[in-house]
Amino acid sequence: MHLLAGTPPLQPIPTSSVGGSVAVGIVAIVHVLIATFITGSSFLICVSEGISIARNDERHERLAHSLLKGVAYVFGFGSALAIFWVLFVLLGMWGTFFIALTRITFWPFIFEAGLFLTEITLLYTLYANWERLRAYRRARFGLSILLAVALWWQMFFIDVVASYMLTPNGGDTNQLAQVLNPTDLPLTIHRTVGNVAWAGAILAAVSAFRYMRAKRRERDVRVDDVPSPRSVGAMAATWFTDADGAVAAHAAAASNVAYFDWAGTWGAVWAIALTMFQPWIGYSYAKEIQLHAYPAWYRMMFGDLSTVFLLQIFLLGVIFLLGALFFWRRMRASGTRGTRTQVLMLAVLVLATILAAMPARFTWTLPDAISAGANRPFWDGGLTNPIGTMVPNKIIALLAMMICGLISVTSLVRAHSRGELRWGDATRRSQWLLVALGVTVSLMMAVMGVIREHSRQPYLISGEMTIQGQTILNAPAGQGQSVSSPSNP
Amino acid sequence: MIRFLTRPFSSRLRAGYRWIDERTGSTELVHKGLYEAVPEKGGWAYTLGSATLVLILLQLFTGIFLLLDYTPSFSQGYDSLKFLQDSDHFGAWVRGMHLWGAYVLILVIGLHMLRTFFSASYKRPRELNWVSGAILFLLVMGLAISGAMLPMDQAAYWTMVVVTNIPHYIPFIGDGIRNLWRGSGDFVGQTSLTRTFAIHIWVLPFLLFSFIAAHLYLLRRHGEFGSWVNYPTESEDPEKELGERIAHAEPPYPTRRVERRWAVPRRTVDFFPNQLFKDTVISVLLIAVIFVFGFVVGAPLSEPANPATLSYVPTPEWFFLPLDQVLVLAPGTYLIFAVAIVVLFVALLCMVLLPFLDRSPERSPLRRPEVLLPGLFLTALLILLTVLGSNRLFNL
Repeated sequence: MHLLAGTPPLQPIPTSSVGGSVAVGIVAIVHVLIATFITGSSFLICVSEGISIARNDERHERLAHSLLKGVAYVFGFGSALAIFWVLFVLLGMWGTFFIALTRITFWPFIFEAGLFLTEITLLYTLYANWERLRAYRRARFGLSILLAVALWWQMFFIDVVASYMLTPNGGDTNQLAQVLNPTDLPLTIHRTVGNVAWAGAILAAVSAFRYMRAKRRERDVRVDDVPSPRSVGAMAATWFTDADGAVAAHAAAASNVAYFDWAGTWGAVWAIALTMFQPWIGYSYAKEIQLHAYPAWYRMMFGDLSTVFLLQIFLLGVIFLLGALFFWRRMRASGTRGTRTQVLMLAVLVLATILAAMPARFTWTLPDAISAGANRPFWDGGLTNPIGTMVPNKIIALLAMMICGLISVTSLVRAHSRGELRWGDATRRSQWLLVALGVTVSLMMAVMGVIREHSRQPYLISGEMTIQGQTILNAPAGQGQSVSSPSNP
Repeated sequence: MIRFLTRPFSSRLRAGYRWIDERTGSTELVHKGLYEAVPEKGGWAYTLGSATLVLILLQLFTGIFLLLDYTPSFSQGYDSLKFLQDSDHFGAWVRGMHLWGAYVLILVIGLHMLRTFFSASYKRPRELNWVSGAILFLLVMGLAISGAMLPMDQAAYWTMVVVTNIPHYIPFIGDGIRNLWRGSGDFVGQTSLTRTFAIHIWVLPFLLFSFIAAHLYLLRRHGEFGSWVNYPTESEDPEKELGERIAHAEPPYPTRRVERRWAVPRRTVDFFPNQLFKDTVISVLLIAVIFVFGFVVGAPLSEPANPATLSYVPTPEWFFLPLDQVLVLAPGTYLIFAVAIVVLFVALLCMVLLPFLDRSPERSPLRRPEVLLPGLFLTALLILLTVLGSNRLFNL
């Protein structure tokens, strides 16, 4: 179908296909990170708001409000980025693909847009009226739930599009076939769980920074000390001119210290507790890719993405390690029982991470090993390493991570339920573990995105549309163009 | 006799009842059954136990009706069900009710177990209530899977092939168990069906009703625990309040061999009419759902079993999707043994022996995370595996 016949000549975009791919990749990763944070945070807002109503817990109300404000700010930037992403990057650089995709997955995009409007309405209603709705807590809670539900459906519909690109059911453009494509369900579950874990990790990292600042302020505004003029906290303390004021400032700082210590731990618990499910869900997802998009699966496991996959499994181990390390430090700071369990879990997690990150061959890819004529165990002079195989070694490592993560989280929560954890006891150094946790989970998200998107190469829609095809619209002006889709070749 | 016959009818009925009562003690039995105390809070949650019993009885009745037509034969089993479906009045409906009754029963018994788990009702002295309940759950699952093998359509045949092959992965004794079940070495045949049928209608129901009797006896002996929300003290002198509660408790309370604070709920109501009303509402609702689904959706009957087919892709019943998903994800014989048999066996053993693993006196879920979190994790994992496994059912 010659949509562009007879129209003025197209202007070339000053980029190569590689440059376009890099630009698309970077914007896509930032876009996905923002969207997943918003979706995951909306769930945590609901949980905190629910607990604050049920138990009249002020900490949870404060957390729900802070998260909502965070979501509103990030959403503002994220929306602008989304517009840039669609208008300039996708339409400008990958126009052929995006027009075809929009026409194939028209209805999911329509629902996506409708839910986007719903999300804006709910988010800004809550943001602007949070305090006013204090008198109607249940209504506010209801709006939070609606926001989370709208965001989940938004994720669901974009997952239809994203999973269709990987497993398009042989190019079947039937709407039901798109929704029921083999990787849609695993991807949706993977993201549902992962988004909350990611939001928890970011909450932990941000709370860690705030904790360190609050701790410094608490130290600086001690009643019996002369404040040091070099710190921000001390400057704040000088605003108080009498002893009562200093006491109040100290109490406020102490309250903040306890709050951010708690919030950081709360975020870390969510991050680790939900990441526990991810090896299993991710494995199921990979299994569906193996069954329905074998070239992509081969590329991930044996091809040039196998090294990146190794990095991913290593990062997974590091996430569990950082979590257990923080829980151990946190429990030790309060002198609770059960720290030995955490040390034991740490030891097992180190071994599991090493086992999981063991390369299955000492080359970049399996074809490299084969082409070198060394596709045999290293003790036979080859380049392959049977200890690094997926079955059973990596599976055992993944199961060990899940079990250790469970024991580690349970041990911390048990100490809390006994009343042995005192909020505000955490050391400043332990907070850097939370920051590292946030960074590692972010890296993990980015690496996963890279693997999923690159596994399809050279296709944008597996077996249907290639990246090379996108250069058509970047051709010099005046050359004839045509837009094609799998349903309309 | 003449005096008896010349009395008014109501008087005769009363006299007849008195005669029976004098010999059986039925009034006392009914009184004891109806007027026992139950905790005031959480009554709707306690309906799951009685609903389970009602659904099991419904399965018994619909099963008896199916037996009037079904022939446990490899060659005629399918035809007998075809006849029941197409030619027998209400046959399709009854079969649909048997299937949907099983689905709802599994769901309700699962919820009942979750409720008991979260409320720590399995703790001393109710350990055996839990053990018998957990065994009942396993028996119901056994009935469900053995029932799924009987229709002798493609789905039933291939379910039988897969399920009877699972023991094969157990080292040393696995092949022996498989041969004992199948009766014909590597192949599924008439003997396999006869044995599965006997297991479904005799062995498992006998065990099921034995354990139900034990479960009900234990429930009546210790009384319904309810949950921790029924036991807080209100006064400034808790010990005195607990003493008064124990002194004025209505049967079956105070529960013996338990800490004083858990011996008697703060407030109780009579089973009749309060709890019985709620039980009836839920049971009637569930039966109505089963009636409707049994009629509207019915029970599927695909093509007759064909061992020679190469194109049929077997999909398990939804309640075995987690196990199926584990089998899909665990490649290789030894991994199937490790994950699907050892891990599953250990998990089931932990479930049955839960009261002996969780010995803390705490009842509130928030105060026993060492049990709650692994329980939540396993429950969530089961749900996730079911959803992930359902992917194969829905793929176009």
